[in-house]
Amino acid sequence: MSRTPSLVWGCLLILAWGACKLPWEIRMTRQQRMATVGFTGPTAVAVREKLGQGLVLAALGGFRGLAANALMLEAHAAWEEQQWVRVRSALELATLLQPRVALFWDLASWHLAWNAAVAAERYGGQSSETKRRIEARKWTEAGRELLERGTKAIPEKSLLFQRLGDLYWQRLEDYQAAAACYQEALTKGDAPPYLERFVGYALEKAGDSAGALAYFRRLRLSMGNPPDPARKPEIVDREIERLQSQAQGSSGKNHR
Amino acid sequence: MSPAVLTQSLRKEFKLGWGRGRVLAVEALSLEVKRGEVFGLLGPNGSGKSTAMKMILGLLRPTSGRAEVCGFRAGTLAARKQIGFLPENPYFPAFLSGAELISYYGRLCGMGGTRLQDRVQELLSLVRLGGEKGRRPLRTYSKGMLQRAGLAGALVSDPEIIMLDEPTAGVDPAGSREIRDLIRELKQRGKTVIFSSHLLEQVEDVADRVIILHRGQKLREGRLEDLLTQTTEWQVRARGLGEDRRKELHAWLVKQGAEVMEEGSPRERLEDFFLRSLPEEERR
Amino acid sequence: MRESGRRILAVAANTFLEAVRQKVFAVMLIFALVLLGGANYFAEFSFQEQFKFLKDLGYATISLTGLLVGLLGAAQLIPAEIERRTILTALCRPLRRWEFVVGKYLGLVFLLGTMLAIMAAGFWAVLRWKEAQLVGAEGTEAAMIQAIQAEARDARLWQAFWLVSAKLFVISAIAVFFSTLATSTTFVVAMTLMVYLIGHLQSVAREQWLESGEKVGWILQAFLAGVAFLIPDFNLYGLIDEIVAGNAVQWRATLEVMAYSVTYVFVLLAAAAWLFEGRDL
Repeated sequence: MSRTPSLVWGCLLILAWGACKLPWEIRMTRQQRMATVGFTGPTAVAVREKLGQGLVLAALGGFRGLAANALMLEAHAAWEEQQWVRVRSALELATLLQPRVALFWDLASWHLAWNAAVAAERYGGQSSETKRRIEARKWTEAGRELLERGTKAIPEKSLLFQRLGDLYWQRLEDYQAAAACYQEALTKGDAPPYLERFVGYALEKAGDSAGALAYFRRLRLSMGNPPDPARKPEIVDREIERLQSQAQGSSGKNHR
Repeated sequence: MSPAVLTQSLRKEFKLGWGRGRVLAVEALSLEVKRGEVFGLLGPNGSGKSTAMKMILGLLRPTSGRAEVCGFRAGTLAARKQIGFLPENPYFPAFLSGAELISYYGRLCGMGGTRLQDRVQELLSLVRLGGEKGRRPLRTYSKGMLQRAGLAGALVSDPEIIMLDEPTAGVDPAGSREIRDLIRELKQRGKTVIFSSHLLEQVEDVADRVIILHRGQKLREGRLEDLLTQTTEWQVRARGLGEDRRKELHAWLVKQGAEVMEEGSPRERLEDFFLRSLPEEERR
Repeated sequence: MRESGRRILAVAANTFLEAVRQKVFAVMLIFALVLLGGANYFAEFSFQEQFKFLKDLGYATISLTGLLVGLLGAAQLIPAEIERRTILTALCRPLRRWEFVVGKYLGLVFLLGTMLAIMAAGFWAVLRWKEAQLVGAEGTEAAMIQAIQAEARDARLWQAFWLVSAKLFVISAIAVFFSTLATSTTFVVAMTLMVYLIGHLQSVAREQWLESGEKVGWILQAFLAGVAFLIPDFNLYGLIDEIVAGNAVQWRATLEVMAYSVTYVFVLLAAAAWLFEGRDL
């Protein structure tokens, strides 16, 4: 008896197993994706680019976390030196390596939309104030775009939606968009209770006092009886009262 | 009763790979080893002795032909249960002690418990590795001690057949003598011993039958007595003959028509002389 | 069956003993030093960042240590025994070849499992130490303390630990598989490392081959198909990153990955046993 039958059987077994494992792997990958980003299909990226990215990721094996953390440290060092381009590239790479870590997106947007933008506005190399403001706006937009991508990578958590709302409010003064972001964050189930009230504040800031009043009334009703004290019903009551008297005051003026 | 080992036209070719052809290690080897005999596999290096042994043990698959051990097909569990094997220049796991090595092999043979423990102690005494020596790691053993430990491992399951591949290679004369004495003892216990060697005078001391291999082929096979006895000659060894009587004897033999091929004082074997020269305690 | 089990256990126990006496456990000292050193390195960051760094460092160090031990240990299991010829005195016994392969692998698994358990205990201790350090620094604010404790005592970390272990056992089985084919340890290490790296690319290759419909050359298609067919999908163990990132991972998903790992190990050992059956020694 020669060695060939054993070799043949061994190879056949591997091939048969390959045929069996493929559907199992496909199913598990779909389920894992579904549970995380809610997206099951392959992304529409050209083969070579995907393979190139894949090769980089494969080269890191299971140590992407360490590489991403090293990039975080690099970003931190670059921040201390106010080298914003380096900060951006390090953090974008970190989010590429670990797109499911909310901390990276949060940090990246903070550095770009706040730190870099403020630095550009106050200390930037541009001669005129207008040009400095344009530069600052570019950094803020870069931070916003990053956060938008982050919300797609981690759609099931409230944090990045909340940060996006904060960005619209504080940096872009787009209070309607901020309100929409806060409302989206509240649908995730892990948002802090105070965010409920921020929706109303944002609506009011956007000039929609009537909308803010209607919202606070709906919010108070949703708190039930007795309300959960963590949701601060007394603050909501106070806002309803304030907006009501504001509305009455302005309608009184209109009548005169 | 089936013979201890039976091979029929056993053949082994090794492929060199990468299109470099094949090497024929054993060709058309047919032999029969009877139960209870000491059988020697002789031949120079590369004659196929180890290859033949490995095929009988099932460590190599024959290209063609058959081999049986006590009626079981060679390589099967039933066949391997009948054999204890000591390879040439054996290597053992260096981190184990002598006792642990024998115990490990015993467990591989299905032994266990106090039966195995007792057997390990018995064998350690037999091969003079009892006490502290048996507890030392194998990496501290001399060549002779390793050989003895290996022998004990081969004997742990009290097999019918003991196969020894070059058992005295690299061992000093005292150690060689010990191994040969052990082979004789095993034979007295009714065991079958098959051993290979290229040290012919050592085989001559113990073997009942031998086979001579060369380049994978059998050249001769038979009982040592039959193979080596020069039936046309006669040898006498006498004591107490003076010079005159020796001359008389020589003349008488010539007168009888005999050709006196050799006369003179016999020479002792160097090995025997060496062993006699050592102190008593070193001879064993 | 029982006799078979005893023989396998004898081989496994011997393999474990060999590794222990060769002081393989000493490599864990490096793990301990790295982890303890790393625990204090990121002190100027927020506590979430510190815990993330610590958990990544811990799992990466456990994985790397386990990978080294599993890879080098498995690579030596059979080629080194053939080279040293110690395999002859084992396989001339009434021991089936598949029992020898399985016993060797189990011995390695015992060794890896013991090391992983010790490292996991050490990692847990460092996390609790970090917790105490951070709680002491943050004062008495209840919400903060709760958040720190939640990071340190996250029960999902055990899921990540099981996944790391399962991945290492699969890699060791791959090394054992190659070791039944190879004559040199270097070949086994190189091949296993290559499979390990490509395994992280497997899901990409699989999707490109099966689903995207994108037109690529036939050579690339053949390569992609080969990778999809033959290589395990190590991206399935990416649940570990999810857990470290603080995201919820169901036990069901973890258990399914572990079932996949066990099945893969079984297939690899079966193939290894088949291949080893016909090998001349």
